[in-house]
Formats: sequence, C-alpha cells, structure tokens
Amino acid sequence: MTEASPSKPSQLLPDAIEDFVISAKHLTKKFAEETVVQDVSFDVPRASIFGFVGPSGSGKTTTIRLLTGVYTPTDGEAIVLDRNPANFSQGERARLGYMPQLFVLYPNLTVWENLNFAASLYGMGLFRGKRLKAALEFVELSEHRWKLARDISGGMLRRLSLAATLVHDPQLLFLDEPTAGIDPVLRRKFWDHFRELKNQGRTIFVTTQYVSEADNCDLVGVQNNGKLLLVDTPQGLRHHAYGGDMVDFRTSEPFEFKVEIMLRSLPFVRAKTVRTGPDSMRIIVDRASTATPELMEWAQQQNIRVKAVEEYTPSFEDVFVELVRPEVTNG
Amino acid sequence: MGNFFRGIIRASSFFRKEIFEVLRQPRLVATLVLGPFLILFIFGIGYRSQARTLRMLFVGQPNSTLAQEIQQNKQSMGAWLVYAGVTGDQKEALDRLNRGQVDVVIVEPKDAYNTIKNNQQAIFTLYHHEIDPVQASYITYFGQVYVNALNQLVLRSFAVQGQKDAANMHSSLQEAHQNVSAMRQAVQSGDEALAQQKQQGLSSNVDAVSLAVGVSLGLLDGMQQTQGVTGGNADPVQTTLTDLRQNTNQLNDSGSASKVDRLARIVKIDKDITDLDGKLAEFQSIDPSIIVSPFNSETKSIAPVQPSLSDFFAPAVLALLLQHLAVTFAALSIVRERNVGTMELFRVSPLSAAEALFGKYISYMLFGGVIAAILSALLAFALHVPMLGNWWYFALVIAAVLFTSLGIGFAISIVSQTDSQAVQYSMIILLASVFFSGFIMSLDTLLPPVRVISWLLPTTYGTLLLRDIALRGTDPNWLLLGSLAGIGLALMLISWRLMRRLISSSQ
Repeated sequence: MTEASPSKPSQLLPDAIEDFVISAKHLTKKFAEETVVQDVSFDVPRASIFGFVGPSGSGKTTTIRLLTGVYTPTDGEAIVLDRNPANFSQGERARLGYMPQLFVLYPNLTVWENLNFAASLYGMGLFRGKRLKAALEFVELSEHRWKLARDISGGMLRRLSLAATLVHDPQLLFLDEPTAGIDPVLRRKFWDHFRELKNQGRTIFVTTQYVSEADNCDLVGVQNNGKLLLVDTPQGLRHHAYGGDMVDFRTSEPFEFKVEIMLRSLPFVRAKTVRTGPDSMRIIVDRASTATPELMEWAQQQNIRVKAVEEYTPSFEDVFVELVRPEVTNG
Repeated sequence: MGNFFRGIIRASSFFRKEIFEVLRQPRLVATLVLGPFLILFIFGIGYRSQARTLRMLFVGQPNSTLAQEIQQNKQSMGAWLVYAGVTGDQKEALDRLNRGQVDVVIVEPKDAYNTIKNNQQAIFTLYHHEIDPVQASYITYFGQVYVNALNQLVLRSFAVQGQKDAANMHSSLQEAHQNVSAMRQAVQSGDEALAQQKQQGLSSNVDAVSLAVGVSLGLLDGMQQTQGVTGGNADPVQTTLTDLRQNTNQLNDSGSASKVDRLARIVKIDKDITDLDGKLAEFQSIDPSIIVSPFNSETKSIAPVQPSLSDFFAPAVLALLLQHLAVTFAALSIVRERNVGTMELFRVSPLSAAEALFGKYISYMLFGGVIAAILSALLAFALHVPMLGNWWYFALVIAAVLFTSLGIGFAISIVSQTDSQAVQYSMIILLASVFFSGFIMSLDTLLPPVRVISWLLPTTYGTLLLRDIALRGTDPNWLLLGSLAGIGLALMLISWRLMRRLISSSQ
C-alpha cells in the first residue's frame, strides 16, 4: 500500500504550486492510552475540495477538531490559514465555517432563530436578512423557517446545520459528514454547491462515510484506524488501489488460455488480469489512454477479432475496499 | 464594521437566544411569577398570629384547693389554653397524652405546703409529646407562664388576707392615738404614773400592729422600694414601724430624758402612727391584683409601620426567589451549552468568553428584572405590602441581587459537568440561603464564624436592604449594597476566567 505523504497530489497541482490552506504534519492525538489519530500528514491546496473518507471511528472527526483548534495535538502540528489553530485570532476564526457531525443548535428555537443565532455568532451585521433567506432557500428550509428545530426531521436538522455553517460566507469550510441523512437529490445539490463554492475560491475540508462522494472531491484522503492510508485525486486512488488503470478487453470469440498468457506478457500490462467471462478480460495497465490503441494493434497482429477495448472505472466503494483490504488483513 | 460592534452583535446573539428560549416555556414563566405570589397570598390569609391552643389536663386531687382554683379560673387562662379536666390518675393522664387526646399534662406537686415550708420550691411537672424543638420550647415557656400565674394567685390571696388584717390594725392604731394623747397630757401635767400606764398601753398597741402588719405592709413596702420613691410620706413602712417601737420603748426612760425631749418623742410617735394609719388606708384601697403584679409592659414601635408577618417576609421571599431564579438559570445555561454541543461550535467561532458571558448576563438580568417588577407590583398593589421607600433604590437592590446571583450560577455552571450536578449545587445554595440568610432565623442567632456564609449569600443582603427600603422607608445601606455588588463583580471575573478557559483552550 502506498504511504500517505504530504507531497503534492498527482493530478491536481503543478509542482510549483504550494499554496496550501491546511498543512498537517505528523498529527497525532491520543486520549489516555488510545491513539485516535496517528501520524497523519497532508496538505490541502487553496480553492479545493478535500474529501476525508473512512469508516466510522477511523478518526475523521478528531482530525477536524485538531484542524479547527478544538483539540490540541499530542504530537505533530497543524497549520491552518498560516497559523496554528490554537492561536487563531477572532478575525481568523471568522473566516472558518464548521459544521459538526451532530446537530448542535437549539431545539427550542425556530429554524430562523437558530440561523440568526449562528449569523450573529460570526458578527454578521444587522442587515443580514437577505443572506439568511438565501441560506434557507439553498437548503430548502424556507417553508419551515418558523418551525421549532425540535419539530423538524433529522435530515432537515442537517440542512439547517449546513445553512448555519455557510451563512457567514466562510473562506475555509470544515464539514463533518454534511450529507449524512440527506436524500440523494438534495445530496447532489449540496455537492453542486460545494463545487460552486470551490470555484469561488473557497476551500472545503469534508468528511464522508459515503465513499462514492469521494468522486466529487479534488483530493481524497483515505483514513482507517486513525492512520491516513493515502491522499490522492479520485483517479489516482483508483490507480493506487489496483496498481494501474483498468481496461475491459472483449473479443468476438472465447479466449484461449495462451492468449491470456500472451496478454500478460505485454510490456504495458501489469501482471494482474481478471477473466470476467469466456470472451472478456479485465486488464490492469499502466495508463488506459495509451494502452487502449496498443492493445488494438496487438490484437490485430494476433488476428484476434476485438469487440471492444474500453477503460473500466471501478466504483469508489470497490476502490475503498481495495485500499483498506491490506490494512484489515494486517490488522 | 469594527471589532467592537461585531462583539456587541455576538453578545446580542445570546441575549436574543436566551430570551426566546425562556419565552418558549410560558408555564415556567407563569410559575415563576405566580408561584411566589400565591405562596405569600395563602400564607398571608392562612397565618394565625395567635399562639397554639393547648389542651391541658391537670393531675391532682380533684378536691384540692389548687384544682378548684384552676377549675374556677379556666375561663381566664387565655384562648391558648383549653381546660380538659382534672384527674387523680397520672398514668391515665399520660395515656391520654400519648393518644394525642390532650397536649399537656400538668402534675400538681406532692405535699406542696411542706416543701415550701422546708425552704424549697414546689415543682409542677409538665408532660408533652412534642418532637418539634420549637413546640417543645413553646410548652416550656407555657409552663413558666402557667406557674407565674399560679404564683400570682397565691400572692393575691396573701394580699387579700393582708388587706383584711389591715382593717383590724386600724382599731389598734386608733387606740394607740388615744394613748399617745393621754400620755402627752400626763407628761405635761407631771403625772408620771399615768404616763407610765399609757406608755405601756401604747407599747402593747405597737406590738400588736407590728405582729399584724407583716405581710401586708411588706408588700406595700416592696412596691415602694421597687418604684424607688424617696422622701416625704415615702419612708419604708418597716423603718416607720422600727422608729415607732424604738421611740415607744425609750419613753420608759423618764429619768434620763428631759420633759421637752419626751414631749418631742411623743409628737414623733404620734406622727408615725398617723403615717402608718395613712399607709394602711392606702394599702387597703389598692386592688390585690395590682399589689402582687404592680408592673406591666406596653410596647410601642417607633418604626413607620407595623407590618404583618407576611408583609415582613415579602421582601425576603422576593430576594430569595430572585436569587434562586438567577442561580438556577445561569447554572443550567452553560452546562447545557456543553451538553448540547454548542461549546464546540463556540470554540471554532470568533466568539469570546466575555461576549458570551455578557450576552447571558444581560438576558438573564432583563428576564429577572421583568419577573421582579411583576412580583413587586403584585406584592405592593395586590397584597398591599407597604412600600415606604424609593422605588428606584428598590430596583437598584434587585439589580444587585440578580447580578451577584448570576455570578454564582455561572460559576456553578462552568464547573458542573451535567444538568443534575448544576441543579444540585443550586439547591445547596437555596438551602444555605433558607438557613443562613436571615430568612427564617435572625442572623444574630448564628455564631460569628457561621455568619461568614450568610455574608456570601445575595439573599442576606437583599433581605436586609429590601426590608429597610420597603418597610422602614430608609435609603439603602450603601456599605451593604457596595459589598453585594463587589461580590457580584468578583464572581463575574471568576466566571469570565473559567469561561475563557472553557471556550478558548483546546483539549
């Protein structure tokens, strides 16, 4: 398995760019004897979406708390907005938006009052009504604004939390599982909005248990058992998970075994191939874009009638399982 | 927008939030306002200012003089005593006491006459069945009152007897007068034998008076001495009597005294007899009850009003309620933020400890102020509790009580981990206030070291200051008010330091 490294992610940034909003260096957090986050290092470039993926209890929330200054690291350090989070000034804190994993507003206040409270907490001026309305419209809670928070559903509470996080238009957002309990349509809308925010120059650090959501991120960190296994682009992670790109190779007639042996021996093909049917095979190659024409050419030379050669994109669930598997096996 | 205004906005977020949260609980608000009002109202109409009525059973010989005396006087023993009869059986009387049929059993002393004759007090024993120390003290007090009444009855009978004796003495004194006149004439005419005879007659008259006068004029004498009357006709009776006897005996000594001296002595004797007769007449004219109990007391207050018991308690109830309200609300306030999880949100946000605390202080001060205003108006205009002082001073004291109490509450809230812990601490403060603030017992009943606790409680200051303003109409004692505000300020600083640690520092 590839070691997580603070170096730049493979496909996102040119080598020269080092404009990181968050830099975690060997972050470690222990509670008594239990190590919850262990030697975690990564960088988050400005105006990007950084997904932090991992199963429940893998240390995602603790990492967010370390980055927001709620926790002090036992070892290592975090630099956020060029400063140690423990020493944030009020002005720097005003540039942050934080959505905790659980609803932490007030059940006896209405949706509007809760949002108004959050806006005041960030010192938003008296003429903030427009922004409050816009935030409620975005999370589709306008109709419910006079309902008490205790009377709305769990999903609505998540939406209210998100609206409260976004209302003051923060530069850097920490979102702890923002889409948990949200229906797929609204979830899509959330991600569209996150991308829009990113395009406006905002940086988003988001944790999720929905591994499939990692595809929406620019960079993904895979966390398991407190350790950061890997940080890369979604495509890069797939590459890491399977040792290369995957190409489905299908012919008009069933393969013979010797064809499979010949395929494996091709220089751009990794040793790992999987028979997916009598006339089809999934091949792992260095790069799908270059391997596809080469495969076509090789098949022609071997008089093999090719039905299709196309890149296969595995689901992120599969990628995640593949990435975590050696950890589980070792564990 | 400046940082200062942002701070104000952040603080105001708490102000609005706390007010809304409280207003969302209308029943709570109604309870806070109506609860204490109703308690005072019911207390005011239900409190009996009379002492408790005791059902008394007397144990003694039913035919004894004392038993008859008690039976005769049962109506005059006051409304607080219900005569339940006389029995000779002490065991039966104690059984009835045990069954709760009577409240007190009074056992007559055995052989009282001989006990007193042997120079000892005869003891009445009072049995009761009380476990309440206040009621037990009341019965002890009642016993003393009862025995005093009995002692007065005995003394009264002596006085009545003395007045009867005085009537008899009058004739002896008249006779003595005649003997003195005859003696004067005999001395003037030089009839020594007649003078001697009359002197002997006078001497026996004086002896008879001396013997009879004992108790009667002793009482009168005691009355004179207690009053401290001196001069004129106010010579102690006993002195007059001694002089009289001395002068009478010296008249025997006719050889050594000149005629002039003897005549002067006779004039003095005559004067003393007239004086004694006058005092006897005076003694007879006084009511025996006045003789045995010549003094009584009458209480007059120079306070501007004489409040009823519920009026007196009203300021203390107000102070105690406001303290409890402020302590409880503040104690739950921060611990709830922590339990709900908002504290995590605050740590990440630009909110400072001072802003959060300021917002909470203002909101609870306002809320407490509104409750206090409604309650004060109800007390003054519905229960007619006197309000002699300045309403602004009254409001100032209430503000100081609220401010200091909030400080206690916030300190509790920051050190508490759970709601129930915060409530427990608040209840301890309430309990301490009931016992140590002078709410029930005066501060004077506490030992000075214990009073330190009293002076740490806002209710102590609030009770004293509000009573002075409302019931005496005075300005507040500025030293007390300043001390209260000083404690509040110290608590605010402590709360701010603790809150800063809670919000600012990482775990």
